[in-house]
Amino acid sequence: MSKLTEGLAGFVLKHPALHKCALLAENIIKKPVFRCQDCGQCVLSYNGYTCPMRCPKQIRNGPCGGTRANGHCEVYPERKCIWWLINERSKKLGMQGKLRKYHIPVDRRLEHTSAWMNVFAGKILPISLHRDLTKKELGELKEK
Amino acid sequence: MVSESNLERLLTDGQFVVCGEMSPPQGADKAAILKKCDYFRNVVDAVNLTDNQTAIVRMSSVMSSVFALEGGVEPIMQITCRDRNRLAQQSDILGAYAAGVRNVLCLTGDYMTFGNHPDAKGVFDLDSVQLIHTVADMNEGRFLCGEEMKTPPRMFIGGAANPFAEPFDLRIMRLGKKIHAGMRFVQTQPVFDFPRFDRWIKAVRDEGYDREAYILAGVMPVKSVKALDYMRESVPGMSIDDEYIDRMKSADDPKEEGVRICVETIKRLKETPGVSGVHIMPVMWESITPRIVEESGLLPRPAGGQPE
Repeated sequence: MSKLTEGLAGFVLKHPALHKCALLAENIIKKPVFRCQDCGQCVLSYNGYTCPMRCPKQIRNGPCGGTRANGHCEVYPERKCIWWLINERSKKLGMQGKLRKYHIPVDRRLEHTSAWMNVFAGKILPISLHRDLTKKELGELKEK
Repeated sequence: MVSESNLERLLTDGQFVVCGEMSPPQGADKAAILKKCDYFRNVVDAVNLTDNQTAIVRMSSVMSSVFALEGGVEPIMQITCRDRNRLAQQSDILGAYAAGVRNVLCLTGDYMTFGNHPDAKGVFDLDSVQLIHTVADMNEGRFLCGEEMKTPPRMFIGGAANPFAEPFDLRIMRLGKKIHAGMRFVQTQPVFDFPRFDRWIKAVRDEGYDREAYILAGVMPVKSVKALDYMRESVPGMSIDDEYIDRMKSADDPKEEGVRICVETIKRLKETPGVSGVHIMPVMWESITPRIVEESGLLPRPAGGQPE
């Protein structure tokens, strides 16, 4: 990410009116199409463009052990398990390999903020295990 | 070997291990735990202490594990993501380790609506894979935030796997994720469906996961056909072979048949490549454990280091 986009996105995030506009633009697409849950750190591209935050337990490294034989959710038997959907769609899109990726815990400070701006502003951490990170990346993690 | 866990030592030595499980009391009753310890001492190698299982309030798994130590039983402390955020989970690990707990089983946790406080807020700050990673990091002397600690715990880290739930390929993928995150032993849901279990353990072996983590297969003694029916109908992600339903239905003494099925299952699991031990889950029937272990030919247990 260039310094310019990083600065611009940081500027947008700092100004509530601009941030609201950015969020609106993002939500017009993400809410109806992906039923975005506003975590502010989007992982759609890893999960067959299906949002894991729709899982009642919000499991980003799913699925839990309760998926029913018909692929439905243990909590809401009338709904499909999100991870069942993620698996089906990833298969269709040829993205199943991406499901092996470990997702770090959600940064709760980013909830209800624009994920796109957060990406441009460099606020999203690399998705990997601490021990796989370099010393420098670990340091950045601590700062954030 | 990273911990002073006796369970880990036995597994490293290549012993076929036996774990038990007890539910802490629904009351402030320490004696209840000590009494249950009598069923497990020198009969199993370690015992799970559940953490508000099925979302029903019970004594905390941390304190129950400490009482189990007093009762001469090595505890496996269960810890879920439902009731505590990342701060509370890490502080519980520190406290439990300081008190002598050496095994921890990281779970996501049953959803609130299954329990006796269906109106509660679920926390789910971390998921079980992230929790495993957190404890593994703590073992290496780092908190989740990256800060270092002076006196790190050295926990033997476990997790769960359900060979019987859909989708099958994600089950294997997630097991691998947990192992990569730092899980060293796995406990499965109870086996009542061998075709499915065999398919799962074969996939586990094909990936080589049985060499990276110890697989402890779950078994459950049941008292009646009603219990099996209940599991089939009301426990999502469970699979029960018709054979067992028929056997329990036509048995003159269902309790005896339940024990027979459990013992047969253990003997078959012992012969299954890739399985390093069994995890007996006698829900509300802890007293049957010694008989099951004995009839399975798994007594006496190898002498262990005394729990501290």
